[in-house]
Amino acid sequence: MKFIDLFRLIFGNLGRRKARVALTAIGVVIGTSAVVILVSLAIGLQKSATDSLYGIGDLTQIDVMPTYGGGFGGGGGPFMMGGVSVDSSQLDQPVLLTNSALEQLREIPGVKVVIPRDYLNAGVVIRYQRLEGGMNIIGIATDDLSNLGLEASQGVTALSRGTIVIGSMIPNNFYDPRQRPGQEPPPPPDLMDQQISMVVFKYDQNGNETKKTISLRVAGVLNETGGEPDYSVYLPLALTKSLNEWANGTRINYNKDGYSQVIVKVEDANQALDIADQITAMGFQAITPQSYLQGINSFFVVLQVIFGGVGAIALLVAAIGIANTMAMSILERTREIGLMKAVGATNRDVLSIFLGEAAGIGFIGGLGGIVIGWLAAQGMNVLAIVFLANQASQQGGPPPSVAVYTPIWLPIFALIFSTLIGMLSGLYPALRAATMIPVNALKYE
Amino acid sequence: MTSPLIRVRGLTKHYQMGGAIVRALDGVDLDIDAHTFTVVMGPSGSGKSSLLYLLGGLDRSTSGEILISDERLDQMDENALALFRRRTMGFIFQSYNLIASMNALENVAFPMQFTGTPVGERSEKSRKLLEQVGLADRSHHRPTELSGGQQQRVAVARALVNNPSLILADEPTGNLDTVSGIAVMQLLSDLHRSGRTVLVVTHDPRMTRFATNKIFLLDGHVVSEEEYKSATLEAAPAGSE
Repeated sequence: MKFIDLFRLIFGNLGRRKARVALTAIGVVIGTSAVVILVSLAIGLQKSATDSLYGIGDLTQIDVMPTYGGGFGGGGGPFMMGGVSVDSSQLDQPVLLTNSALEQLREIPGVKVVIPRDYLNAGVVIRYQRLEGGMNIIGIATDDLSNLGLEASQGVTALSRGTIVIGSMIPNNFYDPRQRPGQEPPPPPDLMDQQISMVVFKYDQNGNETKKTISLRVAGVLNETGGEPDYSVYLPLALTKSLNEWANGTRINYNKDGYSQVIVKVEDANQALDIADQITAMGFQAITPQSYLQGINSFFVVLQVIFGGVGAIALLVAAIGIANTMAMSILERTREIGLMKAVGATNRDVLSIFLGEAAGIGFIGGLGGIVIGWLAAQGMNVLAIVFLANQASQQGGPPPSVAVYTPIWLPIFALIFSTLIGMLSGLYPALRAATMIPVNALKYE
Repeated sequence: MTSPLIRVRGLTKHYQMGGAIVRALDGVDLDIDAHTFTVVMGPSGSGKSSLLYLLGGLDRSTSGEILISDERLDQMDENALALFRRRTMGFIFQSYNLIASMNALENVAFPMQFTGTPVGERSEKSRKLLEQVGLADRSHHRPTELSGGQQQRVAVARALVNNPSLILADEPTGNLDTVSGIAVMQLLSDLHRSGRTVLVVTHDPRMTRFATNKIFLLDGHVVSEEEYKSATLEAAPAGSE
């Protein structure tokens, strides 16, 4: 039997039983559209989650922190640490980010720069004219922030004595402490090249406050990154060191105590995870945006499987419907099967016809399902984007990306899957039809 | 002398019915020559339909040999039997076995879907055959819109569509009134005259008028015409056929 004849016969037969085929296919439509909508939703959620993470994290950056005892978090065997061989028996020893440890980090292949940084651990207020603001003050051991991949929208990225470089959102953090209720807040000041005062506070045991005021000039404003730099004020590490020493009343020896945090920039984002693993094996804590990304991705794969599974249950119910329809159809058409065999149809011909009809129901249902699923996904997208954009405009968040995303492979997969499900559920009835003894089929009442 | 078209030796067909074994055919030997019009007569339960289905390769014998055109049907597998039927035989059934959802033309063309005949040729051939059986004006009617006689004529056209050399008919007039029955018999006779071998299984004595060869079956055995007549006449007063 030629394929074209088989195809024509199958769709001719299905066309002759439109109502029954339609009712059976509705089950497949529901199942397939559920698969398409739910998997699209999971993919859309993943996409918007990873998109926003790309905004936050620089994928070539690894944040490294010391381990203050309690194990190395991975890796084993002896390795060199600060010129001293450390092995697994010394797991409880703190692993500090001393200058010699920094040298070791620099030697890891693929590492571009290693830059220590420190937060200002004291009460601090920045004043500009009548305005005040509390900020995230970061001391950084580099003479130029471009080493961190940061760019300036105004001024320079270079750090020098008496200057600071600020993040793009810093001007928005200023407020007027004397503002009366109902009074309009002042507009964000243009701080470029302006003198600001940084007031650092410390308290003695009796709660007496001591202040130290430093005057600094804003030498640069950074481009918006969507991450931590937007809300940070950068100054030379030497300044935060001396301010921290003053606030805490103790001297800081980086060679002995190590840095509290080091930024490792790698040459290629693809190496970041590998290098982070190597750093972890050395006993430090290493955090990359990619490790979040990896975690998020595996979470969403699980979500896709669960969502797809829910849709698959609906398809399973539809499959039982197809099997039932085909079994009924074969009972009703027993004499037709006998006739087919009498006029020379082989068992294989009969099997192909009934398998094809079952697959055809799956295909028709699948086609309907992907159209409805796709339309529903687009509808959800429109609603979600309108709703989220409204929320974002009220709360000042970033505008939303897509909520539901249907990649091209999903409808293709859903169509193949529903056709296969149809074929599979028609297998038993079709086998029964194919192996009927012609005379029994012809005499069936 | 040429060998017969159909040669049957020691053919038996036994059924299990409940606990009992029914011997539908019990050692049948027969020869049927090509280009003959053979009528197999027998009362209900004589085994004549079983014989027809075995000769048509639609059923399996319990034992014995069936040779058609020197090919052993009893030794063929299902696939070979299907292909053999396709190229050699045309079937006509008592209850027509037309597909209700197809019109007359589609019913006639139905067997050609398995032979790969080009589509254009199919409708051409089917139309001609419907014309031949006098139903050219009914080609787009469905079976439910046709009389019994018309349906059986559609079935005859369908049996001819693959141009078989052997026509097997199982009680072709069984469901028809006298006039329609005679028309169908005439049609079969025409087929025989056109060179085909026709084998009809019936208990309608009118069929013998057209026959060139008669076979009588009683209780699964081939008997002579005299034996058959005396047996059926004896049975008549007892109320059976």
